[in-house]
Amino acid sequence: MPDATHPEFTADQLQEVRRLQGLYPDRRGALLPVLRLAQETFGHVSLEVEEYVAGLFDLSPAHVHEVVTFYTLFFQQPVGRHVVSVCHNLSCHLMGAKSIVEHLSRTLGVEVGETTADGRITLLTVECLCACEQAPMMQVDDRYEGLLTPEKVDRIIAGLA
Amino acid sequence: MPKLTIDGKEVEVAPGTNLIEAARQAGIEVPHYCYHPGLSIAGQCRLCMVDIEKNPRSQIGCNTQAADGMVVHTRTERVLETRKSIMEFHLVNHPLDCPVCDQAGECWLQIYYMRHGLYDPRMVDEKVHKPKAVPLGPHVILDAERCILCSRCVRFCDEVTKTGELGIFNRGDHSEIGLFPGKTLDNNYSGNVIDICPVGALTDRDFRFKVRVWYLDTGRSICNGCARGCNIEVHVNRRRPHHNQGRRVARLKPRHNPDVNQWWMCDVGRYGFGWIDDDSRLLAPVRRTGGTDATIGWDEAVAALAEALKRYRPEEIGILASPQMSNEDLFALQRLAAHLGVAAVDHRVPPRVPGEDDGFLLRADRNPNRRGAELIGLGTGDARAILDGARQRRIKLLWIFQHDLLDSGWPPADVTAALAGAEMVVFQGPSANRTSAGAHLVLPSAAYVEREGTFTNFEGRVQRFRTVLEPLGEAQADWAILGRVGRALGGADPAFSAGRAEQVFAGLAGQVPAFSGMSYRGLRDAGQVVKA
Amino acid sequence: MAEKIFTRNFDRRDSHTLAVYRETGGYTALARALGMEPAAILEEVKKSNLRGLGGAAFPTGMKWSFIPKGSPAPKYLVINADEGEPGTFKDRYLMERDPHAMIEGMIIAARAIDSHLGFVYIRGEYVEPWRVVSGAVKEAYEAGLLGKNIQGSGFDFDIVVHRGAGAYICGEETGLLSSLEGKKGWPKIKPPFPAVKGAFGQPTIVNNVETIAAVPHIINRGGEWFAGLGTKTQGGTRLYSVSGHVARPGVVEAPVSVTLRSLIYDHCGGIRDGRRLKAVVPGGSSAPILTADEIDVTMDADGLKAAGSMIGSAGVIVMDETVSIPEALMVVARFYAHESCGQCTPCRESTGWIYKMARRIVEGKGRKEDLDTILDVSRRGAGTTICAFFDGAVGPYVSYIEKFRAEFEALIPHEA
Repeated sequence: MPDATHPEFTADQLQEVRRLQGLYPDRRGALLPVLRLAQETFGHVSLEVEEYVAGLFDLSPAHVHEVVTFYTLFFQQPVGRHVVSVCHNLSCHLMGAKSIVEHLSRTLGVEVGETTADGRITLLTVECLCACEQAPMMQVDDRYEGLLTPEKVDRIIAGLA
Repeated sequence: MPKLTIDGKEVEVAPGTNLIEAARQAGIEVPHYCYHPGLSIAGQCRLCMVDIEKNPRSQIGCNTQAADGMVVHTRTERVLETRKSIMEFHLVNHPLDCPVCDQAGECWLQIYYMRHGLYDPRMVDEKVHKPKAVPLGPHVILDAERCILCSRCVRFCDEVTKTGELGIFNRGDHSEIGLFPGKTLDNNYSGNVIDICPVGALTDRDFRFKVRVWYLDTGRSICNGCARGCNIEVHVNRRRPHHNQGRRVARLKPRHNPDVNQWWMCDVGRYGFGWIDDDSRLLAPVRRTGGTDATIGWDEAVAALAEALKRYRPEEIGILASPQMSNEDLFALQRLAAHLGVAAVDHRVPPRVPGEDDGFLLRADRNPNRRGAELIGLGTGDARAILDGARQRRIKLLWIFQHDLLDSGWPPADVTAALAGAEMVVFQGPSANRTSAGAHLVLPSAAYVEREGTFTNFEGRVQRFRTVLEPLGEAQADWAILGRVGRALGGADPAFSAGRAEQVFAGLAGQVPAFSGMSYRGLRDAGQVVKA
Repeated sequence: MAEKIFTRNFDRRDSHTLAVYRETGGYTALARALGMEPAAILEEVKKSNLRGLGGAAFPTGMKWSFIPKGSPAPKYLVINADEGEPGTFKDRYLMERDPHAMIEGMIIAARAIDSHLGFVYIRGEYVEPWRVVSGAVKEAYEAGLLGKNIQGSGFDFDIVVHRGAGAYICGEETGLLSSLEGKKGWPKIKPPFPAVKGAFGQPTIVNNVETIAAVPHIINRGGEWFAGLGTKTQGGTRLYSVSGHVARPGVVEAPVSVTLRSLIYDHCGGIRDGRRLKAVVPGGSSAPILTADEIDVTMDADGLKAAGSMIGSAGVIVMDETVSIPEALMVVARFYAHESCGQCTPCRESTGWIYKMARRIVEGKGRKEDLDTILDVSRRGAGTTICAFFDGAVGPYVSYIEKFRAEFEALIPHEA
């Protein structure tokens, strides 16, 4: 079973990699999409994943490492089944983001950057997600959740498997 | 050719020249960190700001091409203030650990702080911490806190060696250079990143903590590590003999020559100088009879050799010259062989392990002057035939320059038989080896850094190397030794009576067509290419 | 009430679909443009006084005209949908509710600049906008509006929807191009400018989502009409993202001549809970802050410039009297320290340094010289870097302190 320590795409995925590479005038353009695919497949972008992807692009692993360490959406370490990212930028700050973060930290029993012991949730703070009209807001996996109150946060967290 | 004015000086430069180089041509220094003429333009350090008339904002000199009629000012109040600011930014998170930094004394943070900084420090907060003393490979060690992220090393590995080992990871003030975890920086040019690092981030594992750089003296030379003939500087420690473990040569650095090595040199050449100060160096002539070694003076040694050369008929003499010898040495040897009428002369002793061409600078032939030996005509014989002649006792006097025949491509049994077969084995070279150990007469040569001369590289470029150190012990330049022998034999060739390498070279230029028209001084630093 | 252009379909059901877009005249501008000379399209856009709505407010027609004429090189059109300026969310609305306006604008622009390949660079966090835009692109292909020989015109144009991976700097046009090329989002040194050497080394135009979405309307109704909606130097209406302490935060479409006061009080219901206005950031977090008595300013590029601020991305962040400006500065400084790409020394080193000082002040450990140090470092670093990121950071650093200095000083302990 391929995982982040022994990454290997399936034949279909490799075909998708080639399709993505073909979309750009230089195949390196597909590096971010392929890293995203790798993260979705293997859970996080481990060093092994970086080397594997570097091989798919004929890039030096250091160049892939530069990219992975530059962007916030690539996880270099394993994360929980759900990632909860609370915006703490200006508009959300004005609307009480700090208390939302504190509430989450307290109810989940983790500090920002940590994952719950059961591996369910990783709690992060992030910069502006550009949904300031719903401040305070957060991203739960793919979803934006706004106009947060502690009660609303509790309901959202309760709904996460 | 664009003509522009920089600080009131008019200068005409080649199209495409940037303002740092144009200013340099006008004798004006524009300070910079990330710009390096051998690498792509990064524009990151922001130190090379200049003012250009009709341009409201200062511009970076590295990324601005000289244009006709441009009026550039490098010392306006605005530029000077900007430099001061940029210096402060470069040092905000720098550890300021100069006393324990090997770069101290040749650090461009120190140099530019004194010239352009001189601000009062204001940073009182905790600095960003990063990895320290991380070995990157066999030669290079990284202190990421000292790094100013100019990216020269990264660009070097991307653009020059195309090996891509280094990257800049993370972002903001947590950015740091490094290797992919678990990898090493072990390409054959890794030492160059130390040279181009303007600060103490990348230092040399071989050199560090051995001697402070301000005790070093510098001489211009040519690397003797292969047929490329990379231009180098030899850094020697004469002033603090107790430092550097008593060794005189502290390090080699590449010297720019656009036609030969650009700004670079390989690690094989860079770290191949240890033998110069080794215990294996030959310090005085030695006569070996019946298993006893006797140190003798040069007069006695030269007389003994001259006597032997007279004793044997020319066809009983074989000479194995070395492509490590300079053009002057080889020419003096060629004149001597001609005087004696010896035809069995060759330089082509096969190496035990043939070198490999690395596709960039390092050549398969690990000798600096093969081409010179060829052009001067040191291949009138055949090396293997000379060896066999000695083995079959047809050759009675075998004169070997530098080679360790027992560590060559020839079967050791054949070599042993040849050394035993010759009635007299003369060894001449800077270092002892197993071949010299069995010679009847051993003559100590000065190492290339202990004398001057020229090498002809594989492309036919004749390049000068200078005297950087005094010869160890009684060692002398080969051409000088050969001249003494020639005179002792009654030879009248001017090469035998030369007092300086330059005079030998004059004879060479006069007699060997490929060198005709050249003058020793006319070679300058760039060298000259022999006639086809 | 002024005419709605960008938002005219926002409240219609399924406004993101091709069918609904067509019901309101969608793709009629394309049909018209395919019959026009590229130079005529460019002329119309120039006449419209359309200026970039992503932040820099550069005249769009002039930008397009920088593409080298007659160059045989492939040219690329890249849409900057890496919305990231704090306080801005209008491109998210456009992509989710009117993606075909962007696509139609892209095809028209591509024809004007002779491009056959376009990219939409959507920030990685925008999952829903990515889904909607991808769906719309698919619909457009199926309807023969993209691909080979569009509508029988002989003109080919493809769109690749590309997703970012989390980095504010990729909203800077050349940082975006580096990222599109599969690299770190390091802005590129200029010259060369993208119009000469951009994505993958080829001539490239980068336009913001909203900017490009204006193009079909300009083609359909004429540049003069669009110009007439705005001020002398900037045409059109635009979308203002209003957040913070207003009663009704959200996206507001208004002519660029609208005043900040009107936006807050007429369009967004004034300050919530009957509190008093303290300050407003008028153009995304990089715009210098305005005090409560500086809001009678028109919300066009030149109006705000004259007021010492900038329109930027038109993200309006409203602060009421309860707000601690030093805390707000700390939050903003944290953002710039986190997002500095690390390429240029002044920005890399001083964003972190200033954040440390701002945090120390809020924690009650400020030194009396800190404020002047922040101001001085800001001024010294401004204008020294490859891109405008640090200049953007300087906006809040300097304006927050200059306009609310007493509030900062009150937090700094007096020396014993």
